[in-house]
Amino acid sequence: MKAGEQGLKQTVTGAPERLGRLLVMPLLAILGAVLIYPVLFTARVSVQDYRLNALDQVEFIGTEHYASLITNATFINALRNTAVFVVTAVTLELILGLALALAVQRLGPTRDGVRSILLMPMFVTPIAVGLIFRFLLNQQLGLIPPLLDLFGFRIDFFGPDLALLSLALIDVWQWTPLMFLMMLAGLESLPKAPFEAARVDGASTWFTFRRVTLPLLRPAIIIAVVIRMLDALRVFEYVFAITRGGPGQTTDTIQYLIYRVGFQFFRLGEASAMAYVLVAFVLVLVAVLIWLTRKGESA
Amino acid sequence: MRQRPPIPFLLTLVTALALAACGPSDDSATPDNGDATGEPVTLSVIMEEVPDTDIVLDLVEDFEAEYENITLEVEALPFDQMRDRIITSSLAPDPTYDIVVVDNPWMVDFANGGYLLELDAYIEGTEGYDYEDFAEPLRDIGVVDGTTFGVPLYNYALSLIYRSDIIDEAPADIEDYRQLVADISSEGEVTGLAMQPQRGYKIFEEWANWLYAYGGSLTDDSGNVTLDSPEAREALEAYIETYETAAPADSLSWGFDEALRAVAGGEAASMISYNWMLPTLNNPEGDAGDLAGSFAVAEVPGGKAALGSWSWAIAGNSENPDEAWEFISWLTSPEIDKQRVIAGGAPTRMSVLADEEVWSEGYGQDYYETVAAILEDAEPLASGPNAEEVIEIVGTHLNAAIAGEETVDEAISRAAAEAEEAFARTSEG
Repeated sequence: MKAGEQGLKQTVTGAPERLGRLLVMPLLAILGAVLIYPVLFTARVSVQDYRLNALDQVEFIGTEHYASLITNATFINALRNTAVFVVTAVTLELILGLALALAVQRLGPTRDGVRSILLMPMFVTPIAVGLIFRFLLNQQLGLIPPLLDLFGFRIDFFGPDLALLSLALIDVWQWTPLMFLMMLAGLESLPKAPFEAARVDGASTWFTFRRVTLPLLRPAIIIAVVIRMLDALRVFEYVFAITRGGPGQTTDTIQYLIYRVGFQFFRLGEASAMAYVLVAFVLVLVAVLIWLTRKGESA
Repeated sequence: MRQRPPIPFLLTLVTALALAACGPSDDSATPDNGDATGEPVTLSVIMEEVPDTDIVLDLVEDFEAEYENITLEVEALPFDQMRDRIITSSLAPDPTYDIVVVDNPWMVDFANGGYLLELDAYIEGTEGYDYEDFAEPLRDIGVVDGTTFGVPLYNYALSLIYRSDIIDEAPADIEDYRQLVADISSEGEVTGLAMQPQRGYKIFEEWANWLYAYGGSLTDDSGNVTLDSPEAREALEAYIETYETAAPADSLSWGFDEALRAVAGGEAASMISYNWMLPTLNNPEGDAGDLAGSFAVAEVPGGKAALGSWSWAIAGNSENPDEAWEFISWLTSPEIDKQRVIAGGAPTRMSVLADEEVWSEGYGQDYYETVAAILEDAEPLASGPNAEEVIEIVGTHLNAAIAGEETVDEAISRAAAEAEEAFARTSEG
């Protein structure tokens, strides 16, 4: 009897497991074809002298590409520009997104409408956003500089001093809504009790925000920052549509450099090595952020 | 214990194989309205989204009527997407394109990479083709190490486009031109010129005309880099000074679109741009509106122009090279090329430029004679291995010099050294 029961249990639990494995296989095959293969191929190419216009002369060259990146001023400059872009954009997006989420959370019946309107920039394709701002911010042909002129401001948005910041602000315009959405979801999922306790104890709004809201929201903030950072690291469209990396090399970002070296200049091996160095940086960054989340949870 | 059949793994394998088998289908097998002249063939063509392509598309119908077994599928793409698509198709075992159009900086790399088919035998075997009739600088662009890989589709040699109601006579000397545009700008109503100092291709394409005007060059006849010269420094200093004194303020990131809008919108009196922009600007239904008709074209100041050109080429991996040549040779034949130019296409054949019927039905004698003069003394922007990279390198340093990030001396010497390195790279391999 006991043995029969066990057999029955095995059948009941075993069948869905097998079916589950079976069903997941097509997905794994697709992932293998479109994700794992390119990753492995890129790794192989990064240790070869792989040039698209000299495929009959491909040779194994070991870590030569990686070693040359250490002294490659263009690469280091692009990494630095990308870091400045990501930190500026994501910090501003976090502050604005959180402020908007706190404001919208308190709204009454108009909340859904306001939320929909705020999300609109997210739905425009980034290359179109780039082209729109290229002309909106143009001194002679644009809409914004003449308006600023009325108030006595004259700003060269794509000059050497401000071009990178302008691109970061365009990113802020487009992606603050995503941050806002994630912050709003985080705020709405918070337990009510700590806030009620704070109110009963007579805590001020600022004190409640600093000592209750922020600590409780910490996991949501870190996840949102990781998602936005990974996305912002891929910045390409605004650079491509507006500055092409200029003036000089002030807006040369890592993805734009990888594209140029790999596809425009045919040196796919070198571009793959750049991509792998970027992946290494990103993995370290993500590991640190996840460690911070865990540390926060255990504290 | 009973061995279970590895169904999940079989399924994985089958799906992966199915995915791997997904590729472009063999278009040549597609049935169409063939006749007795040969097997039905569909040719796939990649072109750029420009007015010249529209003119070619209008002629395709005539070709298909004449060659009933050949059908053309033309894909017109924005410039920025073309090169990547051609490379992808050329590396694929089953190509997407039979016919490709090639921009001049790509020619050597594409030919060396095996992406293009040799055309010499086709050209020699085509009766009445009169290959020598194409303007010599345009012909030369399609020749790599003595072998022809491309025949001219249309030229985009640079010229001076100006408002004839503001500028009476186009200055032939660069210093006169600089003085003129500075004077116009200082009067304040319009700027003397709209420049295109955007980093990379655009600034180099424009500045190359200045370089030639001051007697400098990027390379000598043997392909050695000659950019590191006093002439190049003088040209860059003059270019920067004119940018600062005469060009629209804060236009350091301006490319073609901005300059065109400034000129078409009446904000700037001149620009150095493609000679075929003249008909576009003078079109009453075009961007210039009421200003249409007031634009004129002249040779660039200094006389020697930077030359751009698109060439027709057959993909090295095409399965239908004979039919592809049928189309290319038909379209670029003297007779059809004349029709193309009358319809507004940018000229490539000297006989067409001197044809009175073209003058009367096209844009007038002056225009074609000016274009002929431009083509007689024009030099490609850069040619040789990695030309695209060289253009980017030089264009980056030029732009950095205007932005004040590098001195003129640093910009020229760095651009020359890096250009030399890039040109040398492939020949080493």
